[in-house]
Amino acid sequence: MALLGTNGAGKTTLLRILATLLLPTSGSAVVAGHDATRDPAAVRRHLGYHAGSDLGFYARLTGRENLRFFGRLNHLPEAKLRKRIPELAERFELQSALERQVRALSSGTIQRLSLLRAIIHEPKVLLLDEPTRSLDAIAAGEFRHFLKSEVLRKQGTSLLFASHTLSEIEFLADRVAILNEGELVALDTPANLKTGSRAATLEQAFSRLTGHSAHVLEEPVSS
Amino acid sequence: MIRSLRDLLLFFQRDLRIAGTYRSPFVLEMIEALFGAAMFYYVARFVDSPQLRETLPQGTTYFAYALVGFSFFDYLHAALDSFDRSVQEARDTGTLEPLLVTQVPLPVIIAGSAVYPFLATTLRIAVYLGWGALLFGFPLRAANWLAVMAVLLAALLAFSGMGILSAAYLLLFKRGNPGKWFLLSVSSVAGGMLFPVSILPDWLQIVARLNPVTYALDAMRAALLEDAGIFQIARPLSILLLFAVVLLPLSIGAFSWALRRTKITGTLSHR
Repeated sequence: MALLGTNGAGKTTLLRILATLLLPTSGSAVVAGHDATRDPAAVRRHLGYHAGSDLGFYARLTGRENLRFFGRLNHLPEAKLRKRIPELAERFELQSALERQVRALSSGTIQRLSLLRAIIHEPKVLLLDEPTRSLDAIAAGEFRHFLKSEVLRKQGTSLLFASHTLSEIEFLADRVAILNEGELVALDTPANLKTGSRAATLEQAFSRLTGHSAHVLEEPVSS
Repeated sequence: MIRSLRDLLLFFQRDLRIAGTYRSPFVLEMIEALFGAAMFYYVARFVDSPQLRETLPQGTTYFAYALVGFSFFDYLHAALDSFDRSVQEARDTGTLEPLLVTQVPLPVIIAGSAVYPFLATTLRIAVYLGWGALLFGFPLRAANWLAVMAVLLAALLAFSGMGILSAAYLLLFKRGNPGKWFLLSVSSVAGGMLFPVSILPDWLQIVARLNPVTYALDAMRAALLEDAGIFQIARPLSILLLFAVVLLPLSIGAFSWALRRTKITGTLSHR
């Protein structure tokens, strides 16, 4: 499922509430059958989270050391980590980043490392905030294909992601939640959103449902 | 329990690896400890007098007294610094949130951040005392090591409570904390670091008796310099443990409350 909205619509806030990093002022949030407010520890047992920034790593540790540390904190056995880190690094073209200190890596590489960290322990629920924001078009496309074929289909992971990239949303999401100034405006399949708002594209549907011109969203990139 | 210990080990390994990327400080700290021990040796020679010896525990030289006081005062520093420094660093580097979404419980994350600083401080103290014994006649043979370990553990628990309170303050108010500054300042005078609290005015002696540092140093000097066993230091040791029993749950509760506040206000990652 995708979250679509302009800046300040509440996408990141919602993801952070579900990731147990924020407490809602009212209402409740349930992740994998657990209340995110009352039982955040249970939620975190099923969670993979990517905050969308290129922060969040120990700059003086290598990519491998960082992944190992966070993987172990998510109780992934050492033997599995030894197998999974190189496997995923190869898929994400991060082999050289594994042996380099994070402070020497580019923003896009750190972002890929962060995505890898979010999925390494095969969580039931994956929360991604603008997962391909700092990636080049090729890396972004490869990541989307990997996410769809390996993580969503093979592992059966539930994905909730925020994105401004409409082609990404149409490629990955079977449902789209459109947010506007903290309110849920619509929640449906991309096809139904288009039909319901008599729009030819998701971009037009978004404009009609929120009243915002579609140019507030970023230019789509090829998947 | 085993899982928590394993998690603590992971935090230790992380900090050890990070420390290993800065090679020179280890050597510099060894040299600093040598000069520190030398300084206390010569100060002790300069001020030594029969009157001074009367105020110290029987058979103790001022050099040994001051070296123990100065080096173990580091423990308080480590406790007060390590928790809030780790919160500050985690916030600055953006690792606080990734840590908080892992499966590790909050108390383990808090404790994990202090494992390396405490062990490094213990090593630094050992180096201080080692130089003292090797070059300046510090009486290491008089030590009761079981009692020393017991005091270290009790001091670590009691001081950790204060350190976690300090980290809770930092989490909430984002900037360094006046309580920490006050505690360090008061303890340097009314904690028995370089002189016995018995020479202080009455009102300062009362302050000293409310300070866990006083009991930690009393017990440590007795264990290290007078071969006192656990039973002989039972009083300061039990007072230290009482501080720990009160301060640790209080501080973890305060930290959890501060964390909850920042999650409500959305300021968790704000600097």
